Amino acid sequence: MSTPILEARELRVTYGGHVALDIPHLALAPGELVGVVGANGAGKSTLVNALLGWSRGAPAVSGSVRLAGEEIGALPPHARVARGLALVPEGGAVFMRLSVAENLAAATPPAGAAGRAHDEAQIEALFPRLRERRHHMASALSGGERQMLAIARALRLGPSALLLDEPSIGLAPRLVTDVLRAVRGLVDQHLSVLLVEQNVRAAIAVVDRLILLERGRILAQGPVAAMRDDPRILEAYLGEAAA
Amino acid sequence: MNLVQQLINGIVLGHGYALIAVGWTVLLGVARLVNFGHGQIYMLAAFVTWWAVAGLGLPYPVAILAAMLAGVLIGLLMQAAMLRLTFAQDLVSIMIVTLGFGHMMRGIAGLVFGGHPQVLETPLSYIDFEIAGAWVTAQDLAVVLVGIAAFALLHFGLERGTLGRTARMVAEDPKLAQLAGIDVKRVYFAVFAFEGAAVALAAAMVAPRTPILTSIGFEEVIVTFVVVVLGGIGSVAGSYAAGLGLGIFTALFGGFVSPAYATTAAFGVLIVVLVLRPSGLAMRAGGR
Repeated sequence: MSTPILEARELRVTYGGHVALDIPHLALAPGELVGVVGANGAGKSTLVNALLGWSRGAPAVSGSVRLAGEEIGALPPHARVARGLALVPEGGAVFMRLSVAENLAAATPPAGAAGRAHDEAQIEALFPRLRERRHHMASALSGGERQMLAIARALRLGPSALLLDEPSIGLAPRLVTDVLRAVRGLVDQHLSVLLVEQNVRAAIAVVDRLILLERGRILAQGPVAAMRDDPRILEAYLGEAAA
Repeated sequence: MNLVQQLINGIVLGHGYALIAVGWTVLLGVARLVNFGHGQIYMLAAFVTWWAVAGLGLPYPVAILAAMLAGVLIGLLMQAAMLRLTFAQDLVSIMIVTLGFGHMMRGIAGLVFGGHPQVLETPLSYIDFEIAGAWVTAQDLAVVLVGIAAFALLHFGLERGTLGRTARMVAEDPKLAQLAGIDVKRVYFAVFAFEGAAVALAAAMVAPRTPILTSIGFEEVIVTFVVVVLGGIGSVAGSYAAGLGLGIFTALFGGFVSPAYATTAAFGVLIVVLVLRPSGLAMRAGGR
């Protein structure tokens, strides 16, 4: 196996002594789409946030994070972004008081990432809806459009690995398929993506590999073909159906 | 009382008020922070200007730059001490820490510059003109011009271009701004450096109009508060209009009713405005 694009070792997150995440090892290969699934509170968002060293709260994060072989675990979030790791947090976080065009312009690709960064034409080809809404304020967008804008903004940064936290949350089923298909398309163009997804069924349709989290620990992981019929995954399905 | 003279006094006073408040406008508008040591930075900067001119014999423009540099250093020092609180947006602690800094600055100023009132004389104070039967000094004109220039620069700086967009992003959501690759810590330092420089510039321009004492600064904080709140918090254009309006009101009230109650009346106006328009006088947050 080639050097992972993103690799974490002994990644631990604690909130006031309570261990929220404990991952001995996790790797994302170049051009791979890995789905992270699990019940509510399993630590899925905590995981992707910790990889970027980012959080809305103030957890204690320790461990090693490597991007393309380079240690970035001690860097602040903006510096990890500059190295080529991008995060789209849960809920399609965009700047509500900026227009769509300004939201996109706000993310300038760091030096060295210019070659990887999506330009405006590529963004518009990926999400034609954003072209129509270009001059609207982000606050006027629908949930799906905000999600597209948030992903587009991350792509403008030219990441080599992208962390996507629940892009399907709150979206109509049709849009879920659209957004995840767009993500698959990006991976087919050699972007590496770690996708947190509560919608297990939708995730299975697009990912290469699955990681099942429970209470902050990896319960099972493997290629999607092998994991598809894993009873624990089926349980997650059931959890989803019950929710 | 000559109406034209009072109006001119009001315009000069208003530009002084606006200039004193501009740092806070940015501080509160961009970073959602407060600085209750604002008045003492004003006081220290006034002393630095006086000392540079009277003590070192430097030309007045160089003294202004020296005061601004002192303001920047104080701003950076304060922010370095408060960085954790800033990231946590812990406004109550920031208020207390900045009040503490203010008191320390007053003590240090007393030690360094002594307790005697000083008068800052600039070459501009001796030049005066007559306009429609009213008198105005070159120093007054300079206050107005510098005030206009500072607000125009800031307005265009924040409305357009990368700088303004970055500022608006950090103002809206500093955490999310990190994900767009912005070094939020640097923005916070820059904002505090600007706040220090801006109030120091105001002090260097306005202080020649009054005696300089270690006890000055309190009124300046109050004025700043009124201007920033009336203008609609964070609005650059609103702060300018509010500063000008407050200056003219204070001059006219002082001239035609009673100078002793001008500040009281200004607060009366503030309360009435806030009851009628809780978001301030600005129609929208124009400067953001």
